[in-house]
Amino acid sequence: MAVSTRRLQKELTEITTAGTPCGITLLKADDFQTWFLTLEVLGESLYQGEVFALMFRFDSQYPISSPAVQFVNDETYQPPIHPHVYSNGHICASILGSEWSPVLSVIAVCITLQSMLASCKDKTRPPDNDRYVAHAPDNPKKTRFVYHDDEV
Amino acid sequence: MSTREPMWYCYECHSEMRPLMVPDPHCASCNGTFVEKMENPADDPRNFQAQAADPTGDEDPFGPRDFLFGLSTLLNAGGMPSQNRTGPSAGTGQSFPERGQTLGGRATNTTTRGTSSGFSIRIDRTGTGPARTIITGGAPTSDSNGGNGQARIPLLSEFVQRAPPRGGLGDEREMITGPLMFQYLINMLSQGRNGPGSEFPFPGMMPPGSENGRWGDYVFNQDALDQIISQLMENSSSHPVPATEEIINNLPKDTLSPGSPLLQKDCAVCKDQFQLNTDDPAEQVVVTLPCKHPFHEPCITPWLKSSGTCPVCRYELVPQPHHGGANNTPGGSSSSNNRPNGPSSPSGSNSPPQGGHGQSSILATCSILWVATTITVIRIRITIRVIANESRAQAVRRHRPDVTSLEVGTWTWISLTFCDTTIEMKRILCTIHHLYFFFQHQV
Repeated sequence: MAVSTRRLQKELTEITTAGTPCGITLLKADDFQTWFLTLEVLGESLYQGEVFALMFRFDSQYPISSPAVQFVNDETYQPPIHPHVYSNGHICASILGSEWSPVLSVIAVCITLQSMLASCKDKTRPPDNDRYVAHAPDNPKKTRFVYHDDEV
Repeated sequence: MSTREPMWYCYECHSEMRPLMVPDPHCASCNGTFVEKMENPADDPRNFQAQAADPTGDEDPFGPRDFLFGLSTLLNAGGMPSQNRTGPSAGTGQSFPERGQTLGGRATNTTTRGTSSGFSIRIDRTGTGPARTIITGGAPTSDSNGGNGQARIPLLSEFVQRAPPRGGLGDEREMITGPLMFQYLINMLSQGRNGPGSEFPFPGMMPPGSENGRWGDYVFNQDALDQIISQLMENSSSHPVPATEEIINNLPKDTLSPGSPLLQKDCAVCKDQFQLNTDDPAEQVVVTLPCKHPFHEPCITPWLKSSGTCPVCRYELVPQPHHGGANNTPGGSSSSNNRPNGPSSPSGSNSPPQGGHGQSSILATCSILWVATTITVIRIRITIRVIANESRAQAVRRHRPDVTSLEVGTWTWISLTFCDTTIEMKRILCTIHHLYFFFQHQV
């Protein structure tokens, strides 16, 4: 059994037994490759009333290697407008890249992104959005983001 | 011949003026540095501007043969991106109407062909009369003297080296005299893709692989250049430094035994509690990092091989590249003093600290404004904005004495000029990149 399966099984069990934090729900976790969760920012924020979906893609090295995490961009869900979120759903967040640690989990990532949205004061796209989206790889892990600031 | 001092021409604002010598010539109207003295009436830079609008025009101020040779080289090489491309039959076979022009010329016979994309360009010159034939489309000509052409994307240096020979013609100029010839090429090619009317003169011939304005080392537009710069910066941004085998092997390992206090704890990587009875005996070996965080040996080893840090507190078993300030200290209650090796940041350009905006370590931001090139000179203008304090500005001045008007918080210009004809785009970009990191970190 792959390391990732064992760890994800554990995370899934915890989600189904202990539940998810407020504003985070498990949408779909049919296998141990791709999970979907929804995310909303509760309380007062620029994203009041908006619900977003996150796609997690895991490789067999998870949690040693970070999951590929992006906001879903389809008919139902659109990525939030945020200075660190590109319009294709890719997220520039250091914990998904160089700051990833195997201590983190799916829920921990969700909470981090939730607080990233909650603390947003300026609802804009990243300044290089068009350029990035035009050349972005499918998997955001293939991008080496230059992290814009440390407030994530 | 008049003794009057000749006027200068500015390629940036197209004005004719007498430059400000500060000490390099600067355009008197736009302060640009891409200026040329108009000394030689036979090689008037202004002609190029007129020529650029009409590649089939009758004037020959910048050497249309060079232009066409360059273009055909580009097309030829780009049309065959793979070494394994087989034969001309892969082409579209589409015929393009003949484009002909007659111009005075010296004996040159240049034939290039794009075997896979169904075009060929033939430039025939005879010594006796004005003759130049450019044929596009159709089968490759058999009198190719260029061998098999180039089966891969050319570098700028190759582009230069493949300029047609000029033997014994009394023409010693090794330079394509239209200094913006290359830029023109770039513009034309990019227009072909992006322009409203698809003005590319050879429709359907854009080779594969050039979709993003990039073609090997070539860039055709600002976006593509931006992209390369971004990639360069991103590639150099900090990757975690793995722990060495030696460090990993020397970590204290405990085999779990009844009564061990570790049995109360979890491994933070797999989130499982340490247990005595496991299927895999390796899971009874516990590695404790110097920060006292315990892990299953099979859990922590692969992590340390990718990043020499504690997953819990980011204690550094080996110094890690840093960006910014506050978040460098190991998390939680740990203090920054537990970094094993004194200097907090590796120095040197081999592992530049992470780039980015809005971080405290940023000295300056820079952006590429434009690239203009002749075949022998490539000039790249970047802007630098020093966004920090006076001492940093001084550092920039020391590094680039040519930067004369540098003030804190303002934009200023830096022009880089490369005079090496064999230089490759990559090298240029690396230089810019290096400079960028200098401005960011070397204070």
